[in-house]
Amino acid sequence: MDYKEPDFYIKGVLEGKRRIIAKAITLVESSLPGHRALASKVIDGIISHSGNSVRLGITGVPGVGKSTFIENLGLDLADEGHKVAVLAVDPSSKRSGGSILGDKTRMEKLAAHENAFIRPSPSGATLGGVASKTREIMLICEAAGYDVVLVETVGVGQSEISVATMVDFFLVLMIAGAGDELQGIKKGVLEVADAIAINKADGDNAERAEKARHEFALAMHFLSPVSPSWNPPVLKCSSVIEKGTMKVWETVLEHRKKMKQTGEFDEKRRSQALEWMWTLVYEGLKLRFNENRRIAEKIPEITAKVEREVISPTAAAGELLSCF
Amino acid sequence: MSQNSDINAWKELATKQLRGKPLEALDKNTTEGIKTKPLYTAEDLEKIEFLNALPGFEPFVRGPMATMYAGRPWTIRQYAGFSTAKESNAFYRKNLAAGQKGLSVAFDLATHRGYDSDHPRVTGDVGKAGVAIDSVEDMKILFDQIPLDKMSVSMTMNGAVLPILAGYIVAAEEQGVSQEKLRGTIQNDILKEYLTRNTYIYPPVQSMRIVSDIIGYCSENMPLFNTVSISGYHMMEAGADSVLQTAFTLADGLEYVKTAIDAGLDIDKFAPRLSFFFGIGMDFFMNIAMLRAARFLWSELMDQFNPENPKSKMLRTHCQTSGWSLTLQDPYNNIIRTTLECMSAVLGGTQSLHTNSFDEAVGLPTETSARVARNTQIVVQEETNICNVVDPLAGSYYVETLTQNIIDEVRKIFKEIEDLGGMAKAIETGMPKMRIEEVAAKRQARIDQGKDVIVGVNKYQLENEPPLDVLEVSDEIRTEQIERLTQIKKDRDSKAVKKALDDLTKAAETNGNLLAASIVAVRARATVGEVSDAMEKVFGRFVATTQCISGVYAAECGDSEILASLRKRTEDFEKKTGRRPRILLTKMGQDGHDSGVKVIASSYADFGFDVDISPMFQTPEEAAKMAVENDVHVVGVSSLAAGHKTLVPGLVAALKKEGAEDIKVVVGGIIPPKDYDELRKAGAVEIFGPGTVVTDSANKTLNAIGA
Repeated sequence: MDYKEPDFYIKGVLEGKRRIIAKAITLVESSLPGHRALASKVIDGIISHSGNSVRLGITGVPGVGKSTFIENLGLDLADEGHKVAVLAVDPSSKRSGGSILGDKTRMEKLAAHENAFIRPSPSGATLGGVASKTREIMLICEAAGYDVVLVETVGVGQSEISVATMVDFFLVLMIAGAGDELQGIKKGVLEVADAIAINKADGDNAERAEKARHEFALAMHFLSPVSPSWNPPVLKCSSVIEKGTMKVWETVLEHRKKMKQTGEFDEKRRSQALEWMWTLVYEGLKLRFNENRRIAEKIPEITAKVEREVISPTAAAGELLSCF
Repeated sequence: MSQNSDINAWKELATKQLRGKPLEALDKNTTEGIKTKPLYTAEDLEKIEFLNALPGFEPFVRGPMATMYAGRPWTIRQYAGFSTAKESNAFYRKNLAAGQKGLSVAFDLATHRGYDSDHPRVTGDVGKAGVAIDSVEDMKILFDQIPLDKMSVSMTMNGAVLPILAGYIVAAEEQGVSQEKLRGTIQNDILKEYLTRNTYIYPPVQSMRIVSDIIGYCSENMPLFNTVSISGYHMMEAGADSVLQTAFTLADGLEYVKTAIDAGLDIDKFAPRLSFFFGIGMDFFMNIAMLRAARFLWSELMDQFNPENPKSKMLRTHCQTSGWSLTLQDPYNNIIRTTLECMSAVLGGTQSLHTNSFDEAVGLPTETSARVARNTQIVVQEETNICNVVDPLAGSYYVETLTQNIIDEVRKIFKEIEDLGGMAKAIETGMPKMRIEEVAAKRQARIDQGKDVIVGVNKYQLENEPPLDVLEVSDEIRTEQIERLTQIKKDRDSKAVKKALDDLTKAAETNGNLLAASIVAVRARATVGEVSDAMEKVFGRFVATTQCISGVYAAECGDSEILASLRKRTEDFEKKTGRRPRILLTKMGQDGHDSGVKVIASSYADFGFDVDISPMFQTPEEAAKMAVENDVHVVGVSSLAAGHKTLVPGLVAALKKEGAEDIKVVVGGIIPPKDYDELRKAGAVEIFGPGTVVTDSANKTLNAIGA
């Protein structure tokens, strides 16, 4: 199936046809210029129907239980009649370019749920970065009627910050007693968090989770909050207890209500859109710079000069940019 | 006669005969990472910890019994289950008449997972990999005219262990045999299910409680019954080498012992009733040494509990020859393989043995292949004089050293497990599973490259494979089972059933003995599914998390041309279509053997595919939904338990319903060649049987999606 008409995709997505939604996402993910042009027309066609979901970004180091959390929360929401889309970014191997996208194995019931759509994407060697693709995929899901979009990302690289810039609420999952306080999560990630949740707060772990919650709450005081009207709370949750993640969801809704009252919600979406635009501009510039023939011809000579310390890196950069 | 014991003289002579090659070139590294030398001498014996051991005494390295086979040969115990209770019963009775001493029941996967035959998730599984049991009525048919007070019965059951054990007890009771006379073994080894076969129902903690309840109940009421058969077999089949098999099996055993002791049981009351189950592979001496080492190590492990009864420290084991070592290609060679593995098990000192049928890689055994398998043991037992001497390889420089080597390696892994907080914790971290899968992926890469020889597969292949008869299981069995279920539910006292099931749920909530409560429910004609559900209400159903290794296959291949060419193909595919070939690997039905599919996932990712792995136990509709959402090019179905003829057409139909008939379907696993046509007609574009080189399959899959 390889349709060239944007209308085919637009219509299918708006009708909520699973197969066409998936195909439209494939277009967005594609590295072929022809596909990208088509995808961009499709996005233009659906964008007025998008924007109506709760956008929730979820990060945490491997082993913190992101997928199980999403399974638990997603199922509760889907059972309530919400349409839940889950987008997950999986790292690809640098050597082979391939990847293993195993996430759905942990979202067994949600994956089978009629109201759910789960799409893991390989991070691959995608142009434009993970973020812009995920953002467009999110728009497609919204246009197709999904009113909750969960974006999952592994909290060990660059991707989580870019995810934070595309969602309404950014959640950082932690677990108690994993040794190191911050568990490999960079401070920068906590700075953009709208809430932290200590996962696996159940059974033997409940007490330690409470202790960790307390410690994190203290630590969060030293960070300046993203919004003047929202102090990121530190919560506890469990993905194995019934309704064990609902407290998090209530917090998300409370945040949403407050942000809408103060007008920060619309403001954030607007600034995210602008930020997205500028990201694309910078990436486009980089691409064009790299594709510029005059520059390409000049690079060997200039790099050789820098290596031999004939000119300074600053002067070299200036010379290259002046050719652009 | 002069004797030269100067090792240097030997080295000189050997080097001369090697014509310049260094002597070290003859050293080999085994899969276990043990280095072997071309020659062992008396000097090597100096490092052995158990040189003067005697059979029947600690540390039991020479055998648990003083006279071993000289006194009584091992028990020939063939594992079998034929779809229905009636057919299985006929088979058992015939085998008992033909000289078999015990019987061993294989159950179908629906039963293992605690589903009745009418459950919608088991459409492809009923009666396929063993006998379907829904209630005690099926149990009674299964054991009809088999005197349960005399016959030792071994049951391979781990998931639905409570309704099955209860069913056996009630069937015996209604035969007039009381509990204290029952002799036999129930596998009841749930820990290894989380490692390899995935036929569990509940989460680990609750499952361990079930194990402990069974040990507790049986130590009071069924003193002759072996309550846990701690199994390494499935680990070996999933790829574990001898060291991993021994280490993880004994560590599982230790965990059960600790659980029972925590439950307040006296070590000498239950430890003598623990038995083991090892898999025996093709590395002849290694497997002999493994059994000897395992006995030594178990005795050493049990020492910490200060048992008074020496039997508490004695490792008694059943063995089975490796199904993994059998080939689809030139399958009569499998008789030879099984014979060699049989010899290993016997020279290692097993207490009972199952020898595989030569057609195991093709499908379920036929009557003929089952007879040949049984006769393999009878010939060794009765025609070779092997039984006359206890532990005949003791004192062998090589075998004793190898035994010591395994002991040393296993102790290292014990240490690692201990550092993780014991085996249950280690399993939670996924460490043992990853280790096993790593070895499996490495081994597959070695076979694919011809570094490890398998006759008929990667060397001396046959031009034309002759067709082979396999047992056919018809889908009517499910209909028959459902009819009987309906009848039972009509005839029974439904109030009594409900009360018994409520009591069982209550016992699960509190601390009541679950086996005792299950017996009451089964006696009232509650079904296997109902008994399992009654506890599921409290325990929940366990969902495994999948971890997958990558890079192992590629690392073992090094800079091979075939790997480079595959990577080029997937790259070219991306240049052409805008993305990498994307494959969904799925296991449908209740077949939980997932190590094969893991090897494929890991190697395909190494080739540059984007690989989606489905959750276990999917229905065809669920797999199709996932294939559509992920917009894969192809779905790879892995089937090892005979469900393919229902599940593959089901998947193709479900894809069509979603408007995705362009997504290709390929099938891999244990598929009898005579089913190929039918599967192709149903829509499978490629079929990869056992022995398929993984890189070949990847190339064919790429062809199928137009790369």
